[in-house]
Amino acid sequence: MPLRLRCPATRGLGCSSQRQHMAALPLLRTTYSPISQIIPSRSYAAVASSSSPVSNLRLPANYVPPTKPPTARSPDVRKSQLLRSYTSLLRSTPLMLIFQHSNLTAVEWAAIRRELRFALASVDPGPNPPPVDFASQIQLQVIRTRIFDVALKIVEFHDPKSVEPTTAVTASGKQVKVTYNHDLSESAYEAVQKVSKGTVPVPSESQYPELAPLLVGPVALLTIPAVSPAHLAAALKVLSPSPPAFPAPTRKKQPSYYDPIAQAGLQKLLLIGGRIEGKVFDLEGVKWVGGIEAGLDGLRAQLVYMLQSAGLGLTSALEGAGKSLWLTMESRRADMEEASKPAAAAAEGEEKKE
Amino acid sequence: MISRFITEVRMKFNPFNARTRSARLFLSNLPPTARADGMMIQTQLLPKASTEASSLYIKFKDGKEMNLDVESMGIKSIVEEVDRHSRQLQKAADLE
Repeated sequence: MPLRLRCPATRGLGCSSQRQHMAALPLLRTTYSPISQIIPSRSYAAVASSSSPVSNLRLPANYVPPTKPPTARSPDVRKSQLLRSYTSLLRSTPLMLIFQHSNLTAVEWAAIRRELRFALASVDPGPNPPPVDFASQIQLQVIRTRIFDVALKIVEFHDPKSVEPTTAVTASGKQVKVTYNHDLSESAYEAVQKVSKGTVPVPSESQYPELAPLLVGPVALLTIPAVSPAHLAAALKVLSPSPPAFPAPTRKKQPSYYDPIAQAGLQKLLLIGGRIEGKVFDLEGVKWVGGIEAGLDGLRAQLVYMLQSAGLGLTSALEGAGKSLWLTMESRRADMEEASKPAAAAAEGEEKKE
Repeated sequence: MISRFITEVRMKFNPFNARTRSARLFLSNLPPTARADGMMIQTQLLPKASTEASSLYIKFKDGKEMNLDVESMGIKSIVEEVDRHSRQLQKAADLE
């Protein structure tokens, strides 16, 4: 427990020490300036240090005002901490699947996570494996839906760069410019409030209106730290199997998947959507992304092939017009030459008769 | 919610429609052992662009069927509606 001083925090140390020293040193009364009354207690101690023996009464660094006692909650479940972790999750995770979980028990969660870990560990990374093996970082986590909703609003509506710096006074009385633009700042709160109250329209590029209906009731997230269709497909096969494209793992390969506890849990887990690269996808869209062969490189190769073949087609089409024109002109010339030959021959014959 | 007397739940909804909130909450109101106790639960998700109306079909042990309009009803009124019949069944079961 940090040290506490027994005095009301609003008046603080300044008042009590002032009274003591006034009694002890009556001379101080004349030197005491009314300005220092306005300055809060902490800076009073600092200001007074230059001229009086009050300098001994500096507040310890870990002083906690009695009106703001430290929280007894563990930092993991503190709402502000959760909010910060959710905003950072939303900013850093390109691929997240959103599940509804309806009353899963703890053992069912454990079984599902075990199956998921097993399936992800055996994913074939393909010809170009990622520099970091992130299979162990893929998490299936239950979220606090309302706090996640607020975090999403902050990520979508609050622009930290647009916040103006404000002037603050340091402990030594110096004025400095500081910018409070973090996720828990007042400016973030105001930006979110403006949009939710309708005074500012929702930004057109924002995905919030699409995503907000999903964030209702019990929600769990599967977060994958990179857009990797191979890992997504493996997760889909376990969590939401749909036979032709994403069949469930076979009984031979993964016998524990058919454990009644795991199966009971999976029945209660419902994939409702996904957020991939800032875009919102429904079930079919997520399956489409999971079905991309050879990942992003495969898509790039497809695009390059498409552009090349389009170029080929274009050049042949442009060439074709010229070619056909040349061919018709050639054939016309040949025709005309043939037509003019007999006429010339006839003309020669007439000349001979004369 | 009394779910002992429900034998079958069939649900169809589009999660991207904000008005299907009550359908999803109904699903989370069913107890964790519902399927193990013999309740049949079927959920069909509609695609994002679909404008098809969502539906909730409930069948009770005595054969009564209910088709609820989830889009206009809140979760409280759905629970109330289901409980109204479940209470009758419970009364009958208690008397036996």
